[in-house]
Amino acid sequence: MSDRMIASQFISLYDLCVLIREVVGDNFPEYIWVVAEIASIKENQNGHCYLELVDKNEEKVIAQARATIWAYNYRSLAHKFEKATGETLKRGMKILFSAQVQYHEVYGLSLNIRDIDPTYSTGEMARKKRETVERLLREGLLELNKSLLLPLVPQRIAIISSPTAAGYGDFMTHLQENSYGYRFSLSLFQALMQGEEASFSIIAALQKIKKQIDLFDLVVIIRGGGSQIDLSCFDDYELSAGIARFPLPVVTGIGHERDDTVVDMVAHTKKKTPTAVAEFIISGVRLFETQIEDLQNSIIRYSDRLLENSRYSLQENLNTLNHVLKNILSYSFSKHQLLVIRFCLASRKNFSDHQNRLSLVLQKVNAVFWQKFQEAKNKYFLLEQSIYHFNPVNLMKRGFSVARINGNLLTSIKQAKSGQTITTQLLDGLILSKVEDES
Amino acid sequence: MNKKNQLSYKQALEELEKIVDEIENGEIDVDLLAEKVKRATFLSQICKSKLKKTQEELDKLLSEIEKEDIKQEETESEPSL
Repeated sequence: MSDRMIASQFISLYDLCVLIREVVGDNFPEYIWVVAEIASIKENQNGHCYLELVDKNEEKVIAQARATIWAYNYRSLAHKFEKATGETLKRGMKILFSAQVQYHEVYGLSLNIRDIDPTYSTGEMARKKRETVERLLREGLLELNKSLLLPLVPQRIAIISSPTAAGYGDFMTHLQENSYGYRFSLSLFQALMQGEEASFSIIAALQKIKKQIDLFDLVVIIRGGGSQIDLSCFDDYELSAGIARFPLPVVTGIGHERDDTVVDMVAHTKKKTPTAVAEFIISGVRLFETQIEDLQNSIIRYSDRLLENSRYSLQENLNTLNHVLKNILSYSFSKHQLLVIRFCLASRKNFSDHQNRLSLVLQKVNAVFWQKFQEAKNKYFLLEQSIYHFNPVNLMKRGFSVARINGNLLTSIKQAKSGQTITTQLLDGLILSKVEDES
Repeated sequence: MNKKNQLSYKQALEELEKIVDEIENGEIDVDLLAEKVKRATFLSQICKSKLKKTQEELDKLLSEIEKEDIKQEETESEPSL
């Protein structure tokens, strides 16, 4: 017996493959439900879908199989799946599907997928997302970007988007043609906004921005309108962590209707659409301008008040001064008036005094005059009487006569000698007499 | 960065707020009021210009203001010569 002996019993590969097909067919006659992760998926020109399915144990592939979804089935399945999950079937996704195990002599083992239960994937994605969120929370990343202060004036914007995206155009137009006339410095950092590469592409854009961070106030991640599906890239841990740690506030406008993506959750501010992001930015600038205007108005108002107060106190002072002056004046005036009155009164009094005095004097004078006059009159009268009495004629009438001797007035008997002649004069003539005796 | 642009929005805002406080609290002498109001107007004008003008326009505006300042400084410093 030799090792080299040619076996007399053998079959062809084809026969073997046929045999395998029959065994497989006999053992897996029905469709069975299987869970697997999509390792790759592609659609060919005819619309048939070819997948590589894997099963992993801690990232290590422990099973792998090809699968197909025929075109007539694929269209409706894909539609149903997208509608339920908001996602397209893609790499990394775990699916629960109903398939028939098939073996083909040329193409080998393959799973012919007839149905996919999207609720499994939904739950699976939700679980994955929840795990991502929990991890971010655990690592203190969930609120990190939110803790950054928004720029006082968001004017220099770094945009992460795809230049062909409708949302990008809307965003640019909205900012550049804002009704306030604000100017923005807008820099686009191109990135894929959907598909498997999106996450990596966005992270790369963030890194580029980080190198020239001084030139920007704000980062926006926008993705417009278009497809409402295929957003699982925005649930990616690496991307979410990158955004969370970014030193500038990140604003998202990913444009979707479904629950927030993890990127939305870690972003500083989340808006639904790129246009809403533009509005948000404009309102930020507007807020600043309003603040400035308010301050300016306050300054005007307070200045007016200050001036008004000063004017008021000046007026007050003037009033006081005026009042004081008036008082002084009126005092002076009344004093003056008083003086005038006093003067008048005094003058009048003086006058009447004088008058009184004058009249008194006059009276006195009068009296004196009259007295003197009377005195004089009396004197004169007496004098007149005396004159009358001493008039010799009147004396002679009363019996007196003038005797002369030898021509001299006879006043003593000694003059008379006997024999002498005495002449006695009377009113009506002379008597001559002779002295006889002396006694 | 442009040197003249170093007056940031933040600084302008803070200075404006300070001026408002001072005037509001009546800490400012009426004699200084005109000066402060002038400064406030300048600050808010610069801010508003920065919001609405392109960098080139802004540079031009700032250089004009700078020229005026220099002129003013020159005329102001003349008597001391």
